Formats: sequence, structure tokens, C-alpha cells
Amino acid sequence: MLSSGEFGTSIVVADLEAGIGTLSRLGDSQVDLTLVVVEPTPRSLDVGRRAIDLARENKQGRVIVVVNKVVDVETDLALVREKLGDAELVVVPDDDAVLDADRAGTALLDHAPDCPAARALVELVDLVFDSAA
Amino acid sequence: MKIAVVGKGGAGKTTTSAVLARSLARQGREVVALDCDTNPNLGISLGVGDLETERLVSLREQLDDGDVEHAADWDEILDRFGTDGPDGVRLGVITRIENPDPG
Repeated sequence: MLSSGEFGTSIVVADLEAGIGTLSRLGDSQVDLTLVVVEPTPRSLDVGRRAIDLARENKQGRVIVVVNKVVDVETDLALVREKLGDAELVVVPDDDAVLDADRAGTALLDHAPDCPAARALVELVDLVFDSAA
Repeated sequence: MKIAVVGKGGAGKTTTSAVLARSLARQGREVVALDCDTNPNLGISLGVGDLETERLVSLREQLDDGDVEHAADWDEILDRFGTDGPDGVRLGVITRIENPDPG
């Protein structure tokens, strides 16, 4: 589906199913960028590790890891580095506003546009185009 | 450009997708957000509300059940089974994204 090329000049952001099922069934070179979203826990990072390997193996473009829910930068990132090696990282601080937005059934950008997590995620846009150029 | 967002459930995948999609749209880019999750919540995180998200999920289920004639291309799919979200992001809730054909 992603390769059917009907999207023209639009940017497609595909939120895949949880886990690596869809990623494992996608054909080679279907996307230009794979965002691997993790939190700094061993189980989440194990899934992240497998996602990174699959994305590289199947040539799903550049891989960026988004580390959400970071409480202590030093400790959390040490664990991330241990599990994920030298992957390109974006760090998003742990932020109650994300949970509050979920509970309210609203978008984070409407609920708390200036909260630390939203600001970190918005910066992802610049990174996407930075070295993609 | 096509971007896949993956990760373990609960890691913030959907929030990340939603903020990225809307931020790209705010830069004036045309953005299509595809919810391929078996538990489709991207609409809520994008800000289209839970009723509209539910409506899209039920449209998708009809499509899966074969009740609705399959659409010809992506634009048509999004017109018929998608919705326009905040900042102009077009949202579609879909299954089996790994299949080669749309619909």
C-alpha cells in the first residue's frame, strides 16, 4: 500500500501497529524514514532494538529513535545506549501533560502546546528535514 | 516522503505520530496521517475527537467486511474513508498497509 505511490507530494506519517509485526511484513524500501519510538525500559528497548535491525535490514530509510518518558537523562540514556548502541536519538522528557491530554481525549498540541514533551516532539520536524536534504 | 512510526505499545508512538503530522502541516506541507494500529487512536491524538475517530474505525470495519465497494486510489480512499483534521492533516484509518494494493 505504501508503495502504491498515490500520495503525490504529500508527506505520509504511518502509525503502525504496536510491536514489529507490520514492519516485518512491509516489503523492502517502503519508507524514507523509520521513527522507532521507545521508552527507557528494558522491554521497550528490546522491541526498539528489533525494530532498528529490521528497518536497516529491509532498507526502510533513515532510522531515528524517539526516546519518550525520559526522567533522568544520564541514567535513562545510559540504558538506551547500552541496548541501542549509536542510533540517532531524540530525547523527550517525561511529562504529565501527555497523560492529561490522553485522559481528556484531546491532542497534546491543543491541550498543552508549550509543555516540555510537545516542544521536544515539535523539534523532530527540523531533524526530519535536516539530514534528509 | 513516507515516514513509518513503530514501537512497543505504550511507548508514545501515537502521540509522536500526531505531533509530527501536525507540526509538518503547520509548516505548510500536505500531510496524510495513516492509522494502521489494531487499536486505532491516532484520530484522538490528532484532535479530531473520539466520535469522529469511532466513525472512521467503523468505516474501516465495513471496508474489511467487504460491505463497501473498494476505492480506486488513495485520494478516493481518503475522501471516502478519511477525515480532515486540525492544521489540515488528512487522516485515514486503514488495515493491512503491507498489502500492495490500496483498499
